[in-house]
Amino acid sequence: MTAVVARELEKRFGSTVGLDRIDLEIPTGSTMAILGPNGAGKSTLLRLIAGLARPSSGSIEVGGKTAHHRTSRARVGFIGHATGLYPELTARENLFFAARLRSVSNAGARVEEQLAEAGLIRAADRRTGGFSRGMAQRLSIAVGLIDDPEIVLLDEPFTGLDRTASDRLVERLLGLRQKDRTLVLVSHDVTLAARLADAAVVLRRGRIVHRESGGDLDPSTLENAYTAASDRDVA
Amino acid sequence: MNALLAVLWKDLLTEWRSRDRAIAMLLFSMLMVVIFHFSLPGGATTATRAYAPGLLWVAYVFAALLGLGRSFAIELENDAIEGLARAPVDRGWVLLGKTIANLLILGFVQAVTACIFALVFEMNLMPIALELIGVVALGSLGLCSVGTFFAAVAVRTRLREVMLPLLALPFYTPVLIAAARATNSLFETGSVAFEPIQFLIVTDASYLIVSFILSDFVLDE
Repeated sequence: MTAVVARELEKRFGSTVGLDRIDLEIPTGSTMAILGPNGAGKSTLLRLIAGLARPSSGSIEVGGKTAHHRTSRARVGFIGHATGLYPELTARENLFFAARLRSVSNAGARVEEQLAEAGLIRAADRRTGGFSRGMAQRLSIAVGLIDDPEIVLLDEPFTGLDRTASDRLVERLLGLRQKDRTLVLVSHDVTLAARLADAAVVLRRGRIVHRESGGDLDPSTLENAYTAASDRDVA
Repeated sequence: MNALLAVLWKDLLTEWRSRDRAIAMLLFSMLMVVIFHFSLPGGATTATRAYAPGLLWVAYVFAALLGLGRSFAIELENDAIEGLARAPVDRGWVLLGKTIANLLILGFVQAVTACIFALVFEMNLMPIALELIGVVALGSLGLCSVGTFFAAVAVRTRLREVMLPLLALPFYTPVLIAAARATNSLFETGSVAFEPIQFLIVTDASYLIVSFILSDFVLDE
């Protein structure tokens, strides 16, 4: 089974090419790392999978349906750069809102479960406007996982986390892998990506310049591909 | 429907905690009423009262534009708009939830403004209060449905503060004409003319339906 299929996927922003005819398949239950320098098109690809934007041409399907379709959006959890939180609401209220918006059954219990997973039980009734970056990021991850999605998209999720919180997130992602969830991870941390992922692509200027799959990834090969993509960009 | 209720609950709770929109709208509309009072010759006379429906709706429409502009701007903070766009429902429900929240916030501002207006222009609105609420609610539904839709369109543009009035005002014109006519007949005769009400109902329904259908595109990047 394939969770995500992209065919000749292209995204343009005016005259700028965000993604240039990309072909990609992400098998169900796998973890795919998307690497590349800034402006390579990593986040654009993730946003197209999440149904937040439409392709300029080509197609992208999630679970056999176009990524933009609401049934596809129901399969996908998205953890982005920004926290997506409402500062006037408490942590519990932010989670409850996300649960209601995504029609989670037994929302109250799920909210408490996510608060515990994020280690935010004691801060549950505090407004998130006063949260530290790390706390907000942990809550943002809990919001992204509120409906236990089949596919989890992570756009540099380790940004702003201290070592303890990073370790906790790694454990959480490994736990999701064990539950056969499909993970798509955008990161600049090649070592971490190699540790978590069983497949990887390196993007440069909207094109895939390196692919690796088949389980254990070699960090040094990935690092070389990443550096080459970055160097060519600088040159 | 879950999404509609969730957005409505979130928007009202957020506004209750911050009160930034309601206070700004209220101050603005009250200021307009006071300016009208002092700028019209002779203060509260029968002649100036003839302008009352128009003046009231001028205050309402600018207060609405002020509030509607903020309704999606708060979604940009922390990119919360992405969560709304990813909701696995017809996005029309999300937009409808925001429309109802905007309508309730505007309704509160309108009620207070009407009280100040009655006080300043020495008018007794109590005998026509129910009919006035009905007319204002119909007019405001038109303003909020199309206004919320265009607020969603404008929020991702660079000049969003300017874009919302530019996009919305042409669609506001028929609603305002009908609402002012209905309010005028109410103030003059004590009863509501059927024709403008009929027009408001049709316009409101059209705006709501079209906004719902097109909502799938406005929350896209």
